[in-house]
Amino acid sequence: MATSYRASAGIMLAPAVALIGIFVLVPMLLTIWLSFQDWSTQTSFATAAFIGFDNFRDIFGPTSVGRDFKGALLNTALYTLLSVLLILPLSVAFGLMVYQRSVAGGTALRTVLFATYMVPMIAVALVWSKLYSPTEGPLNQMLGLVGIGPQPWLSSPGTALTSIVFLNVWQQVGYFTVLAVAGLTQIPGSLYEAAHLEGANAWQQFRSITLPLLRRTLLFSAVIAIINAVQVFEPVALITQGGPVGSTNVLTYHIRRVGIERAEGGLGSAMAVTLMLSLIVVICAVFAVLNRKDDE
Amino acid sequence: MSGRARSGTSARLARKPISGSRGLLATAMLLVAIASAFPLVWMVLSSLKTTAETMQVPPVWIPRTPSLDAYEKVAGVVNVGRSMWNSLVIATVTTSGILVTSMMAGYAFAKYRFRGRAALFSLLIATMFLPPIVTLIPLYRMVGSIGLSGSLFGVILPNLANAFGIFLMRQFIAGVPDDLIDAARVDGASELLILFKIVVPSIAPAIAALALFAFVYHWNSYLWPLTVLQGSSDAYPIVISLSRLLSYNRGAMNTGLVMAGATLAVLPPLVLFVLLQRFFVDSIVGSAVKG
Repeated sequence: MATSYRASAGIMLAPAVALIGIFVLVPMLLTIWLSFQDWSTQTSFATAAFIGFDNFRDIFGPTSVGRDFKGALLNTALYTLLSVLLILPLSVAFGLMVYQRSVAGGTALRTVLFATYMVPMIAVALVWSKLYSPTEGPLNQMLGLVGIGPQPWLSSPGTALTSIVFLNVWQQVGYFTVLAVAGLTQIPGSLYEAAHLEGANAWQQFRSITLPLLRRTLLFSAVIAIINAVQVFEPVALITQGGPVGSTNVLTYHIRRVGIERAEGGLGSAMAVTLMLSLIVVICAVFAVLNRKDDE
Repeated sequence: MSGRARSGTSARLARKPISGSRGLLATAMLLVAIASAFPLVWMVLSSLKTTAETMQVPPVWIPRTPSLDAYEKVAGVVNVGRSMWNSLVIATVTTSGILVTSMMAGYAFAKYRFRGRAALFSLLIATMFLPPIVTLIPLYRMVGSIGLSGSLFGVILPNLANAFGIFLMRQFIAGVPDDLIDAARVDGASELLILFKIVVPSIAPAIAALALFAFVYHWNSYLWPLTVLQGSSDAYPIVISLSRLLSYNRGAMNTGLVMAGATLAVLPPLVLFVLLQRFFVDSIVGSAVKG
């Protein structure tokens, strides 16, 4: 009987394994291989010529190739850090609002928050490009009502990247709120009862029960938020084209511009490999930090 | 103590904050809901304004006489019907492929014992965490070299299986009782028949969730179609066609046009969500908690 199931297992797995193998794993290995080649994306893989670490020297070098890439790497790091620092606390705060039962409307709030996650990023970019409009845009109009002067938003190098972070947080926070609620439901209510009996106030309960027991959820959320953040593309491609003055030139946009539009496949692949390695390092660091708290 | 341990829900009900803090909480919730809904409400309202109204300072929040002029203009700039059809084909075919490949692989990982199972599963799941840009350049070349660039099938083919679907299906199929499957085997049913006649019906909600997720994801997806379709505007899905609206009549003039376009792109995924949000939420919770 076991033999026949081995054959069945092969049949059941074949389509998924073949597709993911051919269209994800093979291209991933090709990216690594191409990062050591001089290769134009317009030509076949056979034309690639081995050049050792030259691509990596270029993208970290002092020329414009290096400056642009290092700028994009830094922008992506800032963008990711800012996104995670906004999304995690907001998702916990909103999660508590959805989960609590002393005020009605939690489920309705969840629906409203999560609905934005369904909106295509391209529509988000279109709408926010108009919300941010300097003169007739509603955001500056509303700031004016409370006595704050108009902000340049997407049009100034100092604020453009942050403005894109805001629209991204607006779109994604509902998803992370649902994750936070899932984490909150796993915390036994008896813990809060015991803390209540010992006279702990709401803040103390949050610090000593909610936050520590949400750690696994927050770890998962942080990893997903980081991976989502490095994928930001539509608002940059659509509104800012990496500007002003390179301030929103992020890696997904930059790698596509170099590797596809300029057809510098070898250089683009070296950038993609650098991104992949950076992600692995960052995610390992996140795990290390959150696991160290375990020992306390 | 454990003898009178209460459920989480009753414990939450037991703690009633004082009324002042309840008012504060209600206000905060209302503000969050408004901030979250505002851009979409404003989008729909602006799409119904006249061009003059969209440019007025201070802004007109609610159009005096709602007009569909902006939608007519969108139809003049973009082939809306064709683009919507392309999006529907891409999202539907991709979703069908993901469902079949995920159910089959999920069944194998949940119910078969075979050598290398854990390693193969980990390898597939690892691809879930790979940002698409990492594979974009060689994938673009590969799909181009088999003559599929510029075609809808080129958009669809690389996405017919994905790790998230396999993961979700394995989680839920693992919960289907072995006895049910063994009974069918004794009756001589083939494995594929068991999967589709016995396993699939018993995890229908999870399959609905995966279908909705995949549909919305591929309806919304932009980077890959843009890359593989470069210039073949006949094959553009709606999200790519609409991106051209922003450069049309650049500036304040095109606000109504852009908002009408955005509304059109948002409607299908949002309507699906409103009708079936329970499934979406369940599958996110399933992917986070059960992992």
